[in-house]
Amino acid sequence: MDVSASRKWMAGALVLAAATAGCASGSSGEDSGTTTITVAGMPPTTAAKTRKQFLDAVAAFEKANPTIKIKPTDTQWDARTFATRLAGGNAETVLTVPLTEPPGLIARRQVADLSAEIKSLPHAGDFDPRALAPATGADGKVYGLPVTEYALGLVYNRALFTKAGLDPDQPPATWDEVRAAAKKIAGTGVAGYTQMTVKNTGGWILTAMTYSFGGRMEKQEGVKQEGDKYVSSLMDGPAEQALRHLSAMRWQDDSMGANQLRTQQDAERDFAAGKIGMLIGTVNSYNRYTTLYSGKPDDFGIAALPQQGAGKATLLGGLVAAVNAKATAAQRAAAVKWIDFYYLKPNYDPAAAEQLAVANAADKLAVGLPTLPFYGTSVAGPVNTAIAKHANIPVANFAPYVRDTDKLEYVVEPPVAAQDLYGALDTAVQAVLTRKDADPRDELTKAAARVAPLLEKAQ
Amino acid sequence: MTRGKGVAAALFLIPTVLVFGLFSWWPIIRSVVLGFQRTNLVEAATFAGLDNFRTLLADPLLGLAVRNTLLFTGLALVIGFPLPIFLAVLMSELRRGSGLMRVLVYLPVVVPPVVAVLMWKWFYDPDSGLFNQLLGLVGLGPYPWLQSTGMAMPSLVLEATWAGAGGAVLIYLAALSSVPTELYEAAELDGASIWRRLWHVTLPQLRPILLIMLLLQVINTFQVFTEPFVLTDGGPEDSTVTVLLLIYRYAFVNGDYGTAAALSVSLAVVLAVLSAVYLRLTRTWGTK
Repeated sequence: MDVSASRKWMAGALVLAAATAGCASGSSGEDSGTTTITVAGMPPTTAAKTRKQFLDAVAAFEKANPTIKIKPTDTQWDARTFATRLAGGNAETVLTVPLTEPPGLIARRQVADLSAEIKSLPHAGDFDPRALAPATGADGKVYGLPVTEYALGLVYNRALFTKAGLDPDQPPATWDEVRAAAKKIAGTGVAGYTQMTVKNTGGWILTAMTYSFGGRMEKQEGVKQEGDKYVSSLMDGPAEQALRHLSAMRWQDDSMGANQLRTQQDAERDFAAGKIGMLIGTVNSYNRYTTLYSGKPDDFGIAALPQQGAGKATLLGGLVAAVNAKATAAQRAAAVKWIDFYYLKPNYDPAAAEQLAVANAADKLAVGLPTLPFYGTSVAGPVNTAIAKHANIPVANFAPYVRDTDKLEYVVEPPVAAQDLYGALDTAVQAVLTRKDADPRDELTKAAARVAPLLEKAQ
Repeated sequence: MTRGKGVAAALFLIPTVLVFGLFSWWPIIRSVVLGFQRTNLVEAATFAGLDNFRTLLADPLLGLAVRNTLLFTGLALVIGFPLPIFLAVLMSELRRGSGLMRVLVYLPVVVPPVVAVLMWKWFYDPDSGLFNQLLGLVGLGPYPWLQSTGMAMPSLVLEATWAGAGGAVLIYLAALSSVPTELYEAAELDGASIWRRLWHVTLPQLRPILLIMLLLQVINTFQVFTEPFVLTDGGPEDSTVTVLLLIYRYAFVNGDYGTAAALSVSLAVVLAVLSAVYLRLTRTWGTK
């Protein structure tokens, strides 16, 4: 082989490699008048009926909108892979994300502003403002639509309540009552009350507690001259009261067990196993309780988030559908159409609601969970009636939650650098629960000092 | 003819170089570039100068993470480095059952790391964990293990040592088999005890492999991630936050990819400098 031949070979190999690499780049999603969007959140194959219902909905949507092509994926939200998938152009057009994520996604401009598209939706004027609040940015623009939303509450084990001589139909309504109940429930291998403390859940739950003690985590007061900048309000009192309450339960009453480094999964698993009397949780944890951890439906109880002093508020949780910021205008419009068709319609159309309820019930998924209505009573009422016919949950066990939660104000996540705040508060909660001499005020002071520059940087 | 062979060799190399370049070198280059950029991975990245490094240096967690990582590395050297050597020497002396011993020692390496770590999470459970149950039988404990700032890091080192010792033992066993038996025979004829034979024959003969294993262990332990991520998530009170866990948090919790890359690059530079200094210092030790 001579030199020129070898050069040709090498050039050929390089061209081939370049061509192969070129194949990896994605398409724009718009060809010959058809707009293609990818949508996350297709139910897994284990939920066959709900998955079929989803695919039927895709087919019906495409039939009604011949210029839109949908490619569904069963990808679930994962913050660890989202960034790389976004960078690689593989993140779906429509994303379903937990309520802890929108503030960060909005701040990083990774999701699209949907304000204009939302205005043309059916019942756009009937939205309950509380339902849109979690995905509304500080700029007033709406970056997502609700998929499911619920207020955090007190999840409790009814069997352990009965065993401890407590009435499971009269769960604690204040934090003092939680403390008293926890003391009675606690025993060998059983924690009366537990608090999640790692992977930012410590800060998340302490935020809910602080709301219930009448406080907030961030505020704008006092800096009006600097515009609308937020500062932390950790040192305003309620967060400290919440931490002191936890400290007393842990060290004076010894009613929180020995394990203080639980993730949400750890806590929910141990709760289903009957090792935990009470914890702060969500109504949709009932699905994981019954399907993932084989908990007994009759033992599951949930009440409104306990309140103390001036408190009259709870934290919102759930999922919102957002649109990838890389979407084109046509894809954005198609995405909002799909979100309306699949996620919103069952909340304003009784027939669609009933169809979804039947599919979920067939897959043994919970039907009838008391979630936050997206629309006012005139729209939501008939929908709830349609769903109630197929409810498969122990409805009476959710009655204390339904009765008292609606009296509370639904407050969204801290608007700026929420994950930074939660991370710093994990440390404070862990300190108070693992070290007897830890002073709640000192720990909050350290957390406030840590988050101050992060809040500043994020604005 | 020679030139033809060279061209053929180059052609055969192309796929490997391309794959290696694409999956190893290119990400390294991108990381370095990202360390000097501000990006949300949607819009075009902008040049950030040294801003990411300034953010890094202003973070109070950085010093803590470095200190924790050094503590992990130090404890892993004290506990984890001599143990495989000891086990390898012990196993090489065994007349019977050495095969079974090798299987038992190597078994933890076969267990997927996350499974192993989750198993240890149960061992360490302060309420119903295996360790407290066993120690309770002899009247000891209960110990807080991962729940205390003082015990959490040694607990992680214990798990990491259990998980990683098997691989090192096999390498040492292979090295031991290459030690000339005449040296032991001569030492025995001179009346050397087993400890003197170990000190004057085995360890000097193993010196080159010991030096490289020490360097590899330092590099590995500097990059500890799975144990603190799964067992403690850096807690309690940030006592097990390591440099890699901090990089993970920057990138995947806070979405600050530039600062995450800046810390990755800084760690790589520190390890490269450390390796260069170490190799220079020990250049002659292995052959003396």
